[in-house]
Parts: sequence; C-alpha cells; structure tokens
Amino acid sequence: MNGSLASEHQSGAMQVVMIGLGEEKFALDAGLVREIIDPVPVTKVAGARAFVPSVINVRGNVIPLADLRIRFGMPQLDDSADTRIVVIELDLDGEPVLVGLTADKVYEVTEIAQTDVQQTPRVGMHWKPEFIRFIAKWREEFVIVPNMERILN
Amino acid sequence: MSAMDPTEVFRQEASELFEVLEGALLDLGQRPDDRELVDSAFRALHTIKGSGAMFGFDKVASFTHEFETAFDRVRKGEIKPTQELISVALAAKDYIRALIEDPQSTDDIIGEAILDDLKRFVSADRSDAPVVEIAEAPSLAPAGSKQAGWHLYLEFESHILRNGSNPLDLLEDLCKLGPCFVVPVTDGVPFLDEMEPEDCYLKWDVKLHAACDKDAIDDVFMFVQDELKLTLSPLEHVEAPAPAPLFQLLDEEPIAEAAAPMAEAVAEQPAARAEPQSEPKPEIKREAAPARREDAKQERGIATVRVQAERLDELMDRVGELVIAQARLTQLAASGSDLSIKMIAEEIERLASSLRDTTMGARMVPIGSLFGRFRRLVHDLSRDLSKPVEFVTSGEDTELDKTMIECLADPLVHLIRNAIDHGIEDNATRAANGKTEQGRIELAAVHSGAQVLVTVKDNGGGLNTARIRAKAEEQGLIAAGAVLTDHEIHQFLFHPGFSTAQTISALSGRGVGMDVVKRTIENMRGSIDLSTKPGQGTTVTLRLPLTLAIIEGLLIRVGEGRYIIPLSAVEECVELTAEDERSRGRNFLNVRGNLVPFLRLREIMSSSGSPDKHQKTIIISTGETRVGLVADQIIGNHQTVIKSLSKLHSDVTIFSGATILGDGTAALILDVAQLVSLAQSKFEKQHINEAA
Repeated sequence: MNGSLASEHQSGAMQVVMIGLGEEKFALDAGLVREIIDPVPVTKVAGARAFVPSVINVRGNVIPLADLRIRFGMPQLDDSADTRIVVIELDLDGEPVLVGLTADKVYEVTEIAQTDVQQTPRVGMHWKPEFIRFIAKWREEFVIVPNMERILN
Repeated sequence: MSAMDPTEVFRQEASELFEVLEGALLDLGQRPDDRELVDSAFRALHTIKGSGAMFGFDKVASFTHEFETAFDRVRKGEIKPTQELISVALAAKDYIRALIEDPQSTDDIIGEAILDDLKRFVSADRSDAPVVEIAEAPSLAPAGSKQAGWHLYLEFESHILRNGSNPLDLLEDLCKLGPCFVVPVTDGVPFLDEMEPEDCYLKWDVKLHAACDKDAIDDVFMFVQDELKLTLSPLEHVEAPAPAPLFQLLDEEPIAEAAAPMAEAVAEQPAARAEPQSEPKPEIKREAAPARREDAKQERGIATVRVQAERLDELMDRVGELVIAQARLTQLAASGSDLSIKMIAEEIERLASSLRDTTMGARMVPIGSLFGRFRRLVHDLSRDLSKPVEFVTSGEDTELDKTMIECLADPLVHLIRNAIDHGIEDNATRAANGKTEQGRIELAAVHSGAQVLVTVKDNGGGLNTARIRAKAEEQGLIAAGAVLTDHEIHQFLFHPGFSTAQTISALSGRGVGMDVVKRTIENMRGSIDLSTKPGQGTTVTLRLPLTLAIIEGLLIRVGEGRYIIPLSAVEECVELTAEDERSRGRNFLNVRGNLVPFLRLREIMSSSGSPDKHQKTIIISTGETRVGLVADQIIGNHQTVIKSLSKLHSDVTIFSGATILGDGTAALILDVAQLVSLAQSKFEKQHINEAA
C-alpha cells in the first residue's frame, strides 16, 4: 500500500480525511485510513521514541499510537469530546503496519483539487519540510498533507 | 481459497520424499541387508521421477531415471549398498534436490560426474556377480520360449478419466515389460442413454508374457493404486503369442484358451517361482510385498490434510482474539448479577479454552522431522573429519510448535558441529584415554512441565575451562585472577567472537556460532544450560517453551501500568524488606544468604505517583542467573496471548511483546533476558565502582 497516489482521481482530485491538530488542519490521504475510533485506554511504552509513546488495542491487535503533534512541535491538549483516533495503514520498509494517530478533531472526508496544491514554501516554516508532502488550499484555508512514511521513520 | 501453484505442491512433496530417501539411505549404511529400506528408497526415487515428469521437471525425471536404473541393481540384491555407494547416492540425491529447488545453480557436468560415479560402483560390482545377469531385461528373452508370466485383471474406478489418468497409457507401459495379450471386458458398458461420457466402463484382462517382478507391475500402476482393482496371478507355460492381430483382441476365444494354462500355472507355481533368481530371494519378495500393502492401508487409516502454515497462524490469531473477548465477557458477567449470563460466560470460557488447546495441538509437530536432517550432517562430518561417530536420537515424537522447530534447526546444527569438531577427540586421543574408537553423540528431546528440553550430548573431551579462562583474560573480558565459578567461565563461550580453537577449520573456530545459538534460543524465550565433565563429554541443554503463541504469565502492576512476566522465568516472589529498602544505593537483596541484584521497575518505567507501601520483588532467572524485579503489586496469573510489537517500537528492548487484558487494554510483556543482562551490567558497574 503505497497510497501516495492511490486515491487521486483522474481529474486530479484527491480524497482526504480532514483532521485538526492544535490550530492546524491536516489532510490525510483517504486511501491510508482504515477506521476512525473513539479514544481507548492507552498503554505507555517506556523507552519508546516520543512520537510513538504508547500502544492501544484495536480489535484484538496491539498497534502503536503516534502523536503527530509532537513531530510538529505542537502543545498536547487533553482529550476532549472531539478527540478521535484515526487508524491508518502504512508501508514501512515493505511491511504493512497499522498505526493509530491521535486527532483533536476529525472534520470530514472531502476532496482536494490538484489546482489547489501549493508549493511547500522553503522558508517561513518551523516544520521540517520532509514531513510535508504538500500544502493545499481548502475553503480559503491552508491545509497540510503530511508525509506519513517520513514522519514515522 | 487460493489455488496453489502445482509446481509448489510438487516441491513440497519432493522435499518430503527427499527426507524419506535420505533417511533410508543413511539407515542402509548401518543395516545394509534391510530390504524394506532399499524398497522405501526406491519408492521415493520412483515417485520423484514420476511426479517430476508430470510437472515438467524433465531434467529431474531423466536424472532420477538414471539414478533409479543404477540403484535398481541394489534393489535386486545384485550389489551390496556399501558406504561408498551410499555417499554417492546421497550426492545424487542432493543434485536432484538442487535441480528442483534452484535449477539455475546446477551444472550438468556435476550431474554427469555423479552418474558416472554411480555407474562405476554399479558396474564394478557387476563383474563380481555375473551369475544373476539373467534376471535383467525380460524383454530380451527369446520370444516363443516357455516362460513365466502374469495374468492381470484390471478394473478401474469409473471416475479414473476425470483425474487425468489414461488406462490406455498404463496398458502401453505394461506392454513395455514384455509381450502382452490384452482383452477388453465390455460387460460393464451400459446402454447408450445411460452412459456417462466421462466414465470408464471398460475392464481389461491382460496376459503378460514376461518374467518380470511383481514390483515392476506394481510400479506401472503406482499412481492409480487407489482407483484400481488389480487381480494378479502368475501364469505358466503359455505360448507367447505372435503379435496379436487387431481382430483377435475382440475375439472371445482366447479367454477360454487361457483358462486351461491358468489352472496349470497355479499347480506348478511353487517350482516355477524360483526359476530365474537365486534361492532365498523369492522368500523375501513375498514377505515384503504384503507388508507394503499393509503399510499403505495404515497410511490411509490415519487421514491427514496438508494445510498451509499461514492458515494455521490465522486460526491461532482468531483463537487469541476469542480468548481475549471471552475474558472480557467473564469479567462483565462476574460484575453483574444475571445468573444466566454467568452460565453462558462459563460455557464459553470452557469452549474457548478447549478450542485454544486444539488449535495449539494442530500447530504441534513431532521434533523427529528435524532430527532426521542431522543424521546427514553427522554422517558427512564424521567422514570429513575421519572421526567415526555414532549418532543416537531419542524422543522423536516429542511435539513442539512448528515455528519453534524451524527456529531450532540452525542452533542445533551449530551445537552438533561443535560436538563433533571440538567435543569428540581424534582417534589417537580417544585410544590413549581408553575410550572406544567410535564417538557418540546423543540428540534427545523430552517434555518437562510446560517446557521441552532438547539436549545435545557428546562423550568427547569436555570443555577446557582453563583454556576458556585464559582466552577470556586475553580478550580482556575478565580481569586476571578474578574469582569466577566454572559456570560463569563457560558463559564466555556465548560471547560474540569468542573462540578457543587454535586453528580455524572449515567447520568452526571463528567464534561465530555459539552467540547465534544463544540469541536464537533467547528469542524463543528459551535458555541454554551447559554441563561438562573433563574427559567424559559435554551436555548442552536447550530449555524451550512449548509454544510461541500463548504463555502463562504473571500479571503485575507498576505505578499505573500493568505488565506481564513470563511465568516460566519466575522463581519466587518475596516482599522487599525495610532492610533492603534502606540499602538504596546498592540494589541487591539477600535471598536466603544469596545476593541477588534487583531492578526497580518504577524507575525503568518512569512511573508517576508514589510507590505502594509494601513493594514486592519477583525473582526471575535465566539459566543460573537470578535477578529481582521490584513492582507495586502482584495481580496474579494471566493466560497471555502474545502479540508482537510493531516496527515503530523495535528500538524498545525491554519488552518482548504485548497482550490484551480482560478489560481490553494492552499490557506489555517484559523481556526477561534483557532485564537480566541490564541488571547484571548495573551490578557489575557497582562492583567496579566499589572496588575502585
């Protein structure tokens, strides 16, 4: 499952799941997303890297729970009524891996048109450029399409 | 359902046949007179040839054919299976295997060389025993002479054609054995409107005028055994027919004609049987044939199904999930007051646990399949090193999880190599020490509680403790003059890059091997014990859990988190006394006079909150090393379904996996071996600090 172009339509539109992290909006390629679940009890893994601090049980599988907010240097908010876990399937070194992502809010499944894609600006960003596939415009807002493989490696 | 690649099926089947063939050849080395062994080797060869041709492995088929032809003389008892011949046969077997598994890597020249060798052995012996020549080539016997023959009555199952077998081809094969007189029997053919076009209604009555073995006839029908009713009786004094004109096939007369000679044949049978061959042979033949049929019957009695390994793994996963769901149900039922739900929960608990046992049972494989492979290894090594070695195995029917069996192969190869190369002394030394010339290596497996013990035992020279120690000092692993028990010194053998061999041989001495063995065994949550007696030999014992999928665990609480310790590693649980508490900086406790280093799990897990008042210590051990783990609370036993951690957590070493608790949360399983070495290194650092 590479997913990079899997859900991009011929017309150049891309199906995405729009999630909110802190003040920012992220667009996850819908082809990666397996399910969206309510928060479940997490189990801390001592000694793990900060952006994958814990594991959760999703339908009998123990999967890592990643926190993108740490990768993007955002403050961690406490769970609210809007908090969800987005389960995505990634290809890491040729092996499919299920990963949960904490999202402060999940908005909707929508499309981003190719024409709305913006070049990632080289300067003026405090995020590592390799974590970002591209930035797109969606309803007069800029949203980040993250490069999940890079973020989790 | 995925359709399997037919060539893959062939490969699998062939690899089983190779095991049979190899086993038979090696046994033959010890018991050269055992006809059963020769027959079983021959059957394996024949099946490889037949199915090889069927699946398009033409090279395999033609090579095996040559091999078979040569080996046929052994089967006929014309030549003895000597050690040399068996070595060549083993080489030939390896070549066929290579042809099947990796045809690109094989070289025709090698194949021809092996065949030449084979033929040389076979023909060299031929000159020694020219007497038996007559038995060969029945087709060359002059036509028209009176000769032995067979009367066959063939009745195929009606569905034979649907399986792709063609009775006519078989009849043609039969004709190759000698002149045949074939009469189709048509009384089973129904009226046209009742006829199924795909069914076979014809039966055949065949008179074969050739002095061939019954086995040769059986061989023709080898692949249709189950679909054929074959009535076979010897034939005597029949005039060999002139090549039968076509119309004669339809003529009724010859059957009546045949009846009289048949009666004669039966009467004269005993005298005629012995005719072309040496005296004792027909005896053996007749005994062997019914035994073989018996075998076939038994095999059919125990029905087996070949299942893909992944499906078993999937089944195990599902059962694991079921066990977890059932634990949650039980918890829920216990907290409620509804009696009927409690009853159902209990029922399901019982079912789930028996389903779990059955599923685990399905994954169990007798370890004998693995042991068989080493006989070849020992055979080759003992030849190459010219150290005669007797190889004894026991406990072949001990069952282990199939994944464990696969993981065990490499470590055992290392251990056996070591035993022969380093353990068993050379002939001169053995003689000097008053030992038998032949060394002995025992490979045994035995159940011991929830563990399986696999031991490799040699009666060689034992470990040279002084030399290991000197080497360890030389490599700076220990300070000169440090006080160490023999057991501790032997542990250096498992150190990466550690070797005491003075010269590096092709087999061992590079110092890789034992550390690999140790790592592999520990990955399987097993442990290694070494015991040695100078001059009498060394025993290596591998302790392994029965399965990799489910373990008994001890559930503990540290701060807010709950963790599992594999119960097999737990020795005892003691309370951390106030005295131990006071020795804060030192971190070891006194267990009945022994100093045991301990780790505070709260520190390792960086737990928040204040510790419980009465801290518990769980003493765990690997081999003879013991370490205490300090936790807040011991919750109790837990049936642990092991889930591996994902790649994202591969850098975390203190956990070997995770499981799911009754309330649906995940809990981590502590890696005992890692924790022990962590505690050891802390302990040693402290020692050094104190010494300084």
